[in-house]
Formats: sequence, C-alpha cells, structure tokens
Amino acid sequence: MMLAVLVAYALLYASPYGLRVLTVAGVYALAAIGFQIVFGLGGALSLAHGAFFGIGAYATGILGSQWGWGFAATFPVSLLVPLLLALLVGLPVLRLESHYFALATLGIAQVVHLLAVNSPDLTGGANGLPGVPGIVLFGWAVPRGLPLAAVVWGFVALGGLLAWRLARGRWGRALTLVRDDPLAAGTLGLDVGGLRLAAFALSAVYAGAAGALAVHTQRVVSPEVLEFPVMVSVLTIAVVGGRGRVAGAILGAVLLLHLPEWFRFLERSYLIVYGVALLATIVLAPHGLTGLLDRLFPARPAPMPRPEAPPEKAIPNGPLLRVEGLIKGFGGVRAVDGVSLTLEAGTITGLIGPNGSGKTTLVNLISGLETPDGGRVLMGNADLAGQRPDRIARAGIARTFQAVSLPEGASVLAAVAAARLERDGSIALAEAHALWALERLGAADLAAKPCAGLPAALRRRVELARALARQPAVLLLDEPAAGLTDGEKAELAGHLRAIAATGTALLVVEHDMGFLLPLAGHVLCLDQGRPLYAGPPEGVRSDPAVVAAYLGEGA
Amino acid sequence: MITLQLLVNGLALGAAYALVALGFVLVLNATAAVNFAQGDLVMAGGLLGVALAPHLPGYLPLPGLLLLPVVLVLMAGLGLLLAAAAYLPLRRRPPVAVFISTIAAGIILQNGASVLFGPEPRAAPPLLGGGTLDLGGLVVAEQSLAIIAVAALLIAGQQWLFGRTQLGRRLRATAQDPEMARACGVPVTAMILITFALGTAFAGAAGLLLANRYFVTPTAGGDLILKAYIAVTIGGWGSVPGAVAGALLIALFEVGVSSVLSYPVALGLLYATLLVILVARPQGLFGEAARRRA
Repeated sequence: MMLAVLVAYALLYASPYGLRVLTVAGVYALAAIGFQIVFGLGGALSLAHGAFFGIGAYATGILGSQWGWGFAATFPVSLLVPLLLALLVGLPVLRLESHYFALATLGIAQVVHLLAVNSPDLTGGANGLPGVPGIVLFGWAVPRGLPLAAVVWGFVALGGLLAWRLARGRWGRALTLVRDDPLAAGTLGLDVGGLRLAAFALSAVYAGAAGALAVHTQRVVSPEVLEFPVMVSVLTIAVVGGRGRVAGAILGAVLLLHLPEWFRFLERSYLIVYGVALLATIVLAPHGLTGLLDRLFPARPAPMPRPEAPPEKAIPNGPLLRVEGLIKGFGGVRAVDGVSLTLEAGTITGLIGPNGSGKTTLVNLISGLETPDGGRVLMGNADLAGQRPDRIARAGIARTFQAVSLPEGASVLAAVAAARLERDGSIALAEAHALWALERLGAADLAAKPCAGLPAALRRRVELARALARQPAVLLLDEPAAGLTDGEKAELAGHLRAIAATGTALLVVEHDMGFLLPLAGHVLCLDQGRPLYAGPPEGVRSDPAVVAAYLGEGA
Repeated sequence: MITLQLLVNGLALGAAYALVALGFVLVLNATAAVNFAQGDLVMAGGLLGVALAPHLPGYLPLPGLLLLPVVLVLMAGLGLLLAAAAYLPLRRRPPVAVFISTIAAGIILQNGASVLFGPEPRAAPPLLGGGTLDLGGLVVAEQSLAIIAVAALLIAGQQWLFGRTQLGRRLRATAQDPEMARACGVPVTAMILITFALGTAFAGAAGLLLANRYFVTPTAGGDLILKAYIAVTIGGWGSVPGAVAGALLIALFEVGVSSVLSYPVALGLLYATLLVILVARPQGLFGEAARRRA
C-alpha cells in the first residue's frame, strides 16, 4: 500500500526537485533497512554504518570517475568492500558490550573519515572527486528524474523484500533473541557470535549499496558522505520509523527527507529538526511511527498452529553425562573445586548446598556459560568442557535459569519456539513443536499471551517448556520451584517425573528439601565448591557433614 | 627546551580534557548512562564564552576569568535541562535509549550553535592575558598556565565536594548503588540532577578554557566526546582519577605526535590505539574501578 502511495506521488505530483528528494529518500531508506538488521533486530548500536555508506560511495566514485568502470562493475565492488571491512573489524569489535561497541564503531568511522580527507591522491581529499558516471542498466543509461528515482526505489523494493523475509524468518527471530537475551540464545543452540557477525556484515552490504546509489545521484563523491550527519540521519530514520521494521525504515526515510522541505525556513540547519524528532520519538513513542500505526490498526492474531510432537530423539540408556573433577576459580576463590557426578538416563539428581556453595556455577560450567579451569564434561566420549554454549546445547544439554529470562516483547509461543529455531526448517514447524511442549506441561492456553506480565509461576512453566522443546538428553534446572505454591510444586514434580520417564536425565538445583528429596533418586551436596555428600536422598538429613554445613557449625 | 614547552602545552590541553572526561565519568557512575552530548556541551561552553565576551567590562585586568562563574552557572542549568529532557523520562529503559537521546541532544546543540554562530572557528577571550611569559628561556603562553590552574582548582574542588561533604557522600552513594541509596533516604533523583549539572558545568568550563587557544566550532564536539571516551577507557571505566590520568595521557600523546608528524596522524593513531585497547583490554589499562551496571 505504501508503495502504491509512493508511485502515485512520483507520477502525479513530483516536480524535478521533488523527484530528486524522493530519490535521496530511497537511498536513505536502503541504508536504514540495512541498519534495521544490525541495530533493530541485532540490537547492536553500530556507529560505523555511515562509514560503510561512505566506503560504498567512494568505491563507486573512485572506480567510476578515475578508472572509468561502469555501473555493472562498480556496484558489486561497492557492496564487497564494506562487506570485507565489516567481516574484518566485526570479529573483534562485536565481542564488546553495548556502549563499547558503539564507541569502537565510531572510532572506525573517524579513522575512515581521516583517511579519506588525508589521501588526496586516491580520494581527492577534502574536495572529493567529480564526474562520477550515471547508472547504466543492461546498456540503458538511466536519466535523472523519474527513471533514476524508479531505479533507486527498485533497489529499495528488492532490498526491503529480502530484509523483510529475513526478519520474519528463522534468522530474524534468532537475531531478535540474541538482542534480547544473548545468554539464553546460546543455551538454546544459537551461535550468538555468528548471528551478530552476519547481521553486521549484511548491514554493511546495504550501506554500501546505498552509498553507491547516493554517488550516482549526486555525480560527485566528497568526504561529506563519511561525516557524522549521514550516520545521524540513518539512526534517526530507523528510530523514528520504528526499530527493526522494514516499513519503519521506508516510512522514516520518506518522512525525514521531506522534513527539511517543510521546514525550509530553517535553511541549512534542518538537522535540528532531526535532533528534535529523534529525541521526541525516543521519549514519547519508543516503537516509532510503525509502532503507533500498529496501535491504531492492531494486527489480527495469527492462527494457532496444530501441536506436533518433534521427531523422537533416541536417548541411550546408562550414563548420559559424566562430570569429572570440574574446577572453577574467581579471583582467589575456588567456586567449584573438583566436582564429579554422573547423570544416568531417566534419573533425577538433586544438587543442594548452602548459598554460595557453587551450585549455579556448576550448572553454568556444564552449559558453557562459564569456562572451567580444569576437569572434563563428558557426553559419550566427547569432552564438552570449555565449549561454546550453543555447541553444548546442540550436544543435547538444555537448562533453565534461576532468574527466569523471557523476551518481554514476544508471545509465549514465540518464546518457546525460539528453542526450535536452530533445528526446525520453518517458524511454523518450530511453533507447532513449541505448542506440543507447552501442551505437555499443561500450559497450551498460555501460547497466545505475551511474556511480559506473566506471573512468576507461569514464567517458570514457560521456561521449562522452552527447555523441553529442545528434547534434551540432559536437562539442568536451576531452582525450578522457587516462588511456587505447594500445589504448583506438586504439579511441577509430576511434570519432572514424566520428563525423566522419557529417558531424559535431570539435574535439579533446589533449596526446598520438601520438594526435592521425594523427587530425586540421588543427591549431591556441595559446600564451598567441594562435594560434601553424594548418595541417596534419605541419608542427607542425617549426614553430620551436611547438617554442620547448613547450620554453620564447625565441620 | 622544546620538549618542555610541548609538555606545558600538553598539560594545558590535558587539564581541559580532564574536565571533559571527569564530567562524563561522573554522569556515567551516577546513572550508568553514556552522555553522548558531552562533547557538544564543551562546544556550548566555548561559544557561551564567545557570546558573553562583548559584555565584559573592558578595563578589568582578568577578563576571561570573570566569565568562568557565569559559564559554570549557565551550563549547570543546561545540564539540568538535558537531564530533564534526555535522561529522566528514559531511566527505566535500556541504556541504549539514553545513549540515543543524548545523541539527539548533541545534534540539537550542534546545529543550534551553527545557526546562532555560523560554522567558522571563533576564539573566546583569554582567561588572564593573551601574552607569553619567559621563564628562563621557556616561553609559555599565559593562557596555558591559566588553563592548568583553573582546571586543577575545579578538579580539587570536585574532590573536596565528593570526599569531604555530606552532599558528596550522598552523590557517591547514588553512584555506587541507587537502590540502596534510596533505601537509606538519599533523594536519588535530586542527586542525579546535581550530577548532570556538575558534569555539564565541567564540560562548559573546559570549553571556555579551550576556546581561546584552540578555537571553537559548532562541530568540535564530535572529536571531544571520543577523546573523553578514550580517556575514560584508558583510565578504567568508571574511575575518576583514571579519567583524569587518561585525559592527560592522550593530550600529551596528541601534542607530541602533532609536533613530529601532524594533527590528523595523531588523531588517527589515537583512534587506532583506542580500538586496540578496546579489543585487547576492554576493562581499561588500569583495571575496572566501578562495576558496570549498563
């Protein structure tokens, strides 16, 4: 619909000048669509996007005006150079946390700008390079005006469609989860680093394409394309339009590129309007214009999928997971100090101990959120110790967290389906499997509800369903009964027994002995990182060492 | 002798950078928010000096210094405005929201200045005098000495405020743990407002100090926020003495490399060093002083 309005505008009302503004709006829409991928979906505030735009522009400008290359050759190079740079700098920089990442990418942008201004032989220095040839498509030299606008918006449509499909597909969902909760994403089998790098690199390709088209529109390339205002414009477009939405990028670009026309009395300082628009949007409408439109015209809820059991995974009998002499120190303190345990198929093992005894650290070590200093984590013959969380998750280990973390913006069904993104071929299939997991825990009626605002007991249920949807051979639960009523605890115990009955091995960290001891077949008690007791649950209460540790008497 | 002169120049620049970084780190500690407008606030302080200069009584011997209290007060007010518009409405939202809102505030300041003053570089009046002193062959600009003295006084004043006063204790408590501070009866919102006022006043003072020797343009803030950021990163994220030390270090580096090679090379090397530090030692060269809450 929006496209139809644009076409009508271009054909009926646009003057040559209006068409030029529309063309530039297309250029910025393309850049902003790329920015939505890395910032909107991926959650990384990349301030290098303007630099990638400028590098694409310079690639086209130098090759076109100095070397006489045509569009068919310069355009791919303008995509490739930013892509290569993004891959090169992305690896180290993407490991950084939010503001460090923003700073580092801004640093990259400043270096690129300095290089462009101070290498006059290559870039024409501060004056830039004139005489960039126009676009030639299949032998047709695209003239300015309507044809150029149409070609640019053709690229926008192409890029927008691709980004929209990616955003709505498994990849986009995975990326959103990486944004909202990178820890959980890793334990659900998603390669957090790989997803981030791919998003960063793809955004650079979009920026490069936009930069190339910008130069073809202006026929000149100068350091202006590398200055901060380009970055500011793209950021403003994405935020004002609506974060993460392709429609937001297009709407934002058309609106903000036309703002200076409406505020022409401000002359060159139209950027003030950008600043005010950015500030007002972030304060008043955090989801941008598309967010407001969504509220005015709420989307019809998608029909529920039919629950479907995921293909049965054969879980072997006998020991599934063997932990041998695991060690982890923080500073001078040994949080986990030589712990060994074996989890047999179909059994429930309780892990107890006073606060600070290393229970959660042990679970983090097994699931890969912490790297052990020593020891082995064996599944079959493979040693998983020190592996990345997603590799460990793929080996068949799932977990829940002490503090339940669910993506607040997602529905329960989408949150649980995240566990299947890495395995299932489509979102529909992942959701069918997710509904099966919810149904198994008697929580299918929650599926359409948003995660935000769920009471604690239901959040724990949803998180358990998410772990269960992975059909793990080994399931690690960190205080699953915390905050539950007695009735809810009894229900949970029933569910855990049913899960174990399918062959899964459970390790349950818990303080509530009344809940845990009847449930577990085997109990391990830790104190200051060391095993204090290992044996049947009946023996725990009478073990002098355990009693001493809990009561704080000298052992 | 030339080395000594460079050292004095570097110290003067570093003293001003230290004020910028100090204001940045105070706000960061109190709110866990990155104030991206800090560089543009420096520029605003410089231009405030330019604007106020014609109103100075011409016969007074210390013209620029008279502007300092006025700039400090006006900038503190601007800091309150910034907090009210770009921080307080967003305090329950992820840190990136404040980051973007302060980018927006910076854009408004930058382009507002461009409308009011035009793009060309301008100089504020010197603090003491525009002359040079000959200290036994060592020729130093009076302005350099004035910058060092004023910055040192302000930094010492900040240390006294935080270390020795009841208000300082409350400010520190807010920075360390706002929840706990609130539970102990500290008016946390007021403390945050004061921190913003203080941080902005420091940025403004730095702007006034720099605007005579280095001139001021509406777009000067971009490089300054990066330098503040680098200083804070070198000094250890969240460390107040670290920020001051980091600022001195980058200023000496900048002056030194500029004298041998050129300013763009110095700037490029500075950013490159920053990238290496970030990747190799994100906790800063001297370790992490404050636990990150962002």
